[in-house]
Amino acid sequence: MNEEYQAEYGPKWSDQRVERMLGALVCAVVGLLLAMIVTVFVRAWPSFSHNGLAWFGPGGSVDDQLNAIFLSGQAGAEYIYTFHAWPLIWSTLLITGGAVLIALFSALFVAVFVVEFAPEWMSNILQPVVRFLASVPSVIYGLLGVLVLVPFIGNHLVTEGQKASVAGVISLSGYSLLAAVLVLTTMIAPLMVSIFTDGLRSVKPGWLEGSLALGVNRWRTTWKIGVRSARPAIVAGTVLATARAIGEAVMLAMISGSVGFAPNPADGLIFIYEPSRPLAPTIVKNIDQLSSPPANATLFAIAAVLLFSAALFSLTGYIARRSMRKYGTA
Amino acid sequence: MRIKTLAIAAFALAGLAVPASANAITLIGSGSVAAQPVLQALFATYTKQVNPKVKFVYTANGGNAGVKDVQNGTSQFAGNARTPLPSDAGTTYIKMFMDGLCLDVNKKNAASNITIQQAHDIYRGLLTNWSQIPGSNLTTTIDPVGRDTNGGTYNFFLQAVLGNEPPASNVNALTADGLVQNAVKQDPNAIGYVGLAWQRGVKPLKVNGVPCAPSKISVEPLRYPLSRYLFIVLPGDGSQSPPALLKFIDWMRRSPLAGEVISKAGGVPAFNKKPKKR
Repeated sequence: MNEEYQAEYGPKWSDQRVERMLGALVCAVVGLLLAMIVTVFVRAWPSFSHNGLAWFGPGGSVDDQLNAIFLSGQAGAEYIYTFHAWPLIWSTLLITGGAVLIALFSALFVAVFVVEFAPEWMSNILQPVVRFLASVPSVIYGLLGVLVLVPFIGNHLVTEGQKASVAGVISLSGYSLLAAVLVLTTMIAPLMVSIFTDGLRSVKPGWLEGSLALGVNRWRTTWKIGVRSARPAIVAGTVLATARAIGEAVMLAMISGSVGFAPNPADGLIFIYEPSRPLAPTIVKNIDQLSSPPANATLFAIAAVLLFSAALFSLTGYIARRSMRKYGTA
Repeated sequence: MRIKTLAIAAFALAGLAVPASANAITLIGSGSVAAQPVLQALFATYTKQVNPKVKFVYTANGGNAGVKDVQNGTSQFAGNARTPLPSDAGTTYIKMFMDGLCLDVNKKNAASNITIQQAHDIYRGLLTNWSQIPGSNLTTTIDPVGRDTNGGTYNFFLQAVLGNEPPASNVNALTADGLVQNAVKQDPNAIGYVGLAWQRGVKPLKVNGVPCAPSKISVEPLRYPLSRYLFIVLPGDGSQSPPALLKFIDWMRRSPLAGEVISKAGGVPAFNKKPKKR
């Protein structure tokens, strides 16, 4: 009846009204997003254009460079823009990569357990708990890190010999790669678990039953059919978690250490105790310098890199999910 | 249900609106975090006991930002923990009260005295082991802890101890005074610098033999070496500021009551109880 009506008279006015209002809202949101991206990149441009690709490379101490940039803007002399962000980028890669990797495997096994193996009463308790954990504000994890984990690492795990071997260069006082990766893992794993369980639950029961009916055991069925079909959800969860991890600023500013130092795996075990500072906390720590024009451009350049990598992640996730769509819906 | 919610909301709004309509003068300020605890205590006492018509709004956004606010007229006054710089043109600095920057160690550390030179060498990465500091029972590596560049305290330490040389890369720069205090409290090998108001759970060292205590903090004659003034910053030469603000500043600097409030909140009164000085 409605289709006939529409064919004859066109869409109803009330529908048109809703359509236009919602459309305007969407346009406003997209416009706001575009304006934000343009602002960030325009403000960041001086820093990129002065350094070229060397912006992303190593060279000198980042902290000294940031300080020189800030002071040049305060003094009113010629602005300095020289900035080589590699230690910050390397720290971001190490901390985010380490945390996502650990969280991916642990979250996958937890999700499989919750969906396939846990007795019902247990998964009834576990699921709300996981959902709650996924929404805990990161400052709380930061506080726990600073008050519990950092002193523990500094006082019990790091030995005096290790500290003495790098004395005067960096101090191994617990603010470390290890603390940052561990706390970040705890922060993002629940997010992954809750998306993975949704994915595993939405696998078509017939596929699993078919496999079980052929005499395949439960673990193999889950692993080969369930997890495989849920791959789009696994990719989606990982992308979301990575995006959250890469932009995490407050928690990491509290526990990753504060020097722009690039931890070197060649140092051996000490490597995981070394402090570093990722990109996002660098913005937080230098927010006071925004009044100096070159420092302003440099901080916006860091923001642009973060924004760009976030966009890249969601694009990768989109492509990966599309190519996996044939395996199942999630 | 809905009516109840509406009633509560209306009541809350009315509650918010009352102070604004009470014919009060509101003075707006911003700036130093270091001065904030003392200033808030002074504001509260002034409004409660001296002039209930004067209200204060203070945003602790850092001393440098506060001066900028005064220059462009967003704030009527600013707190600042450093002495005037050339970039502060068009403002007047008035000394409020004094503060001492203490060098603190963990309570397990037997060290009791440090010289400015030793502190300089520790924060420049030249002295790295507690065995190099006389009086300490430890033979472990020193973990120096400091503030990040946002803090006025950082600037003061840079000038007073490091001779404007940047701290070494082994100094762990934390984002807040409370985090520095916490780090020193939890790490037996740490040394850190924080103001007088942050001494709970840590052990202040004597600097050049003078204890970090309110009784020793003064600028003239110099007793405790890391003494500093906290300033209030006014636009122009200060004479255009609202009379209510000038009256408050006068009260803060002179009255014995303000002196009491300042020392209770962790500052050291510089001028109070004394007759006119300066």
